Amino acid sequence: MRTADLLPLAVAVPLLGAVALVIGGRWLPRVATDALATVWAAMDVADLAWLWAGTGDGHSVSWLGGWYPRRGESVGIVLAGDRIGIGLALLTATLVLAVIVYSWRYFEEPPAQHAGTFPALILLFEAGMCGFALTGDLFDAFVFFELMGAVAYALTGYRIEDPRPVQGALIFGIVNSIGAYCSLLGIGLLYARTGELGLAQIGSALQTHRADALEVVAFVFVMTGLLVKAAVVPFHFWLPDAHSVAPTPVCMLLSGVMVELGVYGAARVYWTVFSGPHGIPHPHLRTAFVAAGVLTALVGAVMCWQQRHLKRMLAFSTVGHVGLFLAGMALLTPAGTAGVALYVAAHAGVKAALFGTTGVLLDRHGSVDEHGLHGRGRDLPLAGAMFTLGGLALAGLPPFGTALGKAVTEHAAEGRFPWLSAVFVVVSAATGGAVLRAAARIFGGAGPRPQEHYAGPETTGSGEEPEIRDPQRRIPAPMLAVPAILLCTSLAVGVLPALAGSLARAARQFTDRTAYAAAVQGHAIAPAAAVPDVGWSTEGVALALASTVLAALLAAAAIWGPALAWRGMGTARAALRAAGRSVVLPLRRLHSGHLGDYVSWLVVGVALLLLVMAA
Amino acid sequence: MSRTARIRLFWAAAVVFAVAYAAACTGLPRFGTLAHPYATRAVAAALHQRTANVVSSVNFDQRAFDTLGEESILFAAVLGTIVLLRHARDERTGRPRPGRVLPSTRLLGMVLLPVTLLTGVYIVAHGQLSPGGGFQGGVILATGLHLAYVAADYRVLKRIRPLAFLDAADAAGAGAFAALGLAGLVAGGAYLQNVLPLGTFGQLSSGGLVPVVNAAVGVEVGAGVIVLLAFFLDQAVEVRSPEEHGTGGGG
Repeated sequence: MRTADLLPLAVAVPLLGAVALVIGGRWLPRVATDALATVWAAMDVADLAWLWAGTGDGHSVSWLGGWYPRRGESVGIVLAGDRIGIGLALLTATLVLAVIVYSWRYFEEPPAQHAGTFPALILLFEAGMCGFALTGDLFDAFVFFELMGAVAYALTGYRIEDPRPVQGALIFGIVNSIGAYCSLLGIGLLYARTGELGLAQIGSALQTHRADALEVVAFVFVMTGLLVKAAVVPFHFWLPDAHSVAPTPVCMLLSGVMVELGVYGAARVYWTVFSGPHGIPHPHLRTAFVAAGVLTALVGAVMCWQQRHLKRMLAFSTVGHVGLFLAGMALLTPAGTAGVALYVAAHAGVKAALFGTTGVLLDRHGSVDEHGLHGRGRDLPLAGAMFTLGGLALAGLPPFGTALGKAVTEHAAEGRFPWLSAVFVVVSAATGGAVLRAAARIFGGAGPRPQEHYAGPETTGSGEEPEIRDPQRRIPAPMLAVPAILLCTSLAVGVLPALAGSLARAARQFTDRTAYAAAVQGHAIAPAAAVPDVGWSTEGVALALASTVLAALLAAAAIWGPALAWRGMGTARAALRAAGRSVVLPLRRLHSGHLGDYVSWLVVGVALLLLVMAA
Repeated sequence: MSRTARIRLFWAAAVVFAVAYAAACTGLPRFGTLAHPYATRAVAAALHQRTANVVSSVNFDQRAFDTLGEESILFAAVLGTIVLLRHARDERTGRPRPGRVLPSTRLLGMVLLPVTLLTGVYIVAHGQLSPGGGFQGGVILATGLHLAYVAADYRVLKRIRPLAFLDAADAAGAGAFAALGLAGLVAGGAYLQNVLPLGTFGQLSSGGLVPVVNAAVGVEVGAGVIVLLAFFLDQAVEVRSPEEHGTGGGG
């Protein structure tokens, strides 16, 4: 068997697994269904691990249906994987396996007669995400993008007893669908001009044209769907509403990989289609997307710090980190890409682990409210330790992979945007600090019971339905083991130099459009750029430690600050409160939960992007 | 945001959108140009594969992987509907009432039901030759069955609609497509590569794998749409909200 044949199998295996689960789930006992799901998920991990090993530092290319290009032209679809795409698919498969194990005993009762439906949907989700990560065809990417969307909407609304998940899923579905329509419009424009759908083929066909309105508008439209999925401000409004209501195992996938796939898609499409001589110029794109990334990161960090609903807090922390990923990718250098790849891999483990431990709290106490749970997590020392460790990793504690990814990206930004390091430190400190604050209050009972500061609507997170209905039972072992293993993988990303090295070489491939186009046409050429350095540096460690310490200080100030009675504390508190009223309150009002608002912001985002890219 | 602010914001942005899209459209190729790179290649490839219906050749052979993704979306949508429209704990169900139907409607339904099913099968089976195929034929099959609901009532529809079987058929159809793709790999080619003899151009048996895949999609779409509609009808006809009492609803 050729290595390239593993590419379509990565999609076909979970599809067949979903079918087996739907049919088998009708008469198999619950244990057998869970075992079947685990086996299929493990098979896909094995497939992708083999593909990762077999592809090496080059590309694996598979022309589906045997429609190989003749004289450079083909009517078929090509799957093309380098280690960035394959790595992302492997990350997805690993996380899916973790989620399936985590939810072995998670739901009390699957839908009657349809016991295999939940794991089947998870496997379909996996097929969509793997297909999206591995395809080398723009329209095919759109199809798999829609597959993961359709599954994600259903999974978000899974708990139908509560109206909130249904509302969250509806907003998620409508906002993402509008984004997808924009992408389809863009694909239509590109197809009309070039008659091609393959990424590399469109890219080379566009080179014969001078950049004009059609190309710029098509670029913005195609990007819109991807940026909506990536939850970039102002397309991000759906994310907190969906993530705070989806079942915990689903949140692990949504925050861990699905959102990041949006950033990956945007970068892949830019590099392969629009980065050519007559495309969108690098400096133009760099300025616009670094700015969008920074704005997203700051909004995510501020909103994350404000939350007391734990899942909403984690959701906004995802917004913050995705902003950092986008800014890093938009540096358009191999080093920035390598840093983001490391950061994404490590972040997935940390974020999934944090959601997993939140699921334990929800299981035990039927609440995800930081204030209501004050001190009530003392009986869960292991979960508390993992939640704290997750917060530290999110803030960038070395040697977690998050710290390494952050350090490499910061280093890559030094030449052009030296101030970007400050944004990275502040955003990771604020998101990590919010988690640490919640951890200290919930699991340690630290500080006085918090008081409410701001008038106005707030999502508290109390009165959540437990997702499982037997609070007296012992916490199932997988619900604690899976987050622990996920934290370990995040640690591994930071301490295994071989992994970092291969991602660095992959980043060099990823940012070389000539090498990609050549690989698709069947002849491999080595990329021109140098392999970026991705080791730990003194400066990187110092910055990582700085953000960790800052996170701890922020958490401590939030917990014990109000109780301090030093001189001048009163004025400091008043100043903070005034700042909160002028910055935080308007920002919070924007997140109104009103679908019409979100759609308006989406259109505003497209208009802004059009104006910026046309300028 | 207030209602006025929201609408003003939307229209301001929508104007930019419209202007940009109009500007982009001026760069499109002129209407009615003779040559299109993909169309030229796709027709040649369809003829080479002896598939008379070029659209089917593109959908089920040249770009079959897209179609695999699309029918997976339908499969996922059916599963999603099963999940979202399942009976919640606080929902009560009532028995549907027999409905009154005019004798002429009943007669028309009885005549049309078999004719419609036959048309559906024809459209699926001739997908490689004439307009149609698994998606279109499958929908006709599914709607044909619902003539029973129009011409008789919900209870009759339930009797002739083996949901458990159709649910499995939906999954099996989706799986068959993915599994048929493996045949190409087993034969030493690429995934979804044709492994069957191509037959004679214009014959029912032409096109290699295209008619087989078409049949799989027809089964999946037909069964899937019936299951999909079953869950929606179930919500509309049988489920009552907790406040509402009575046995109404129906036919």
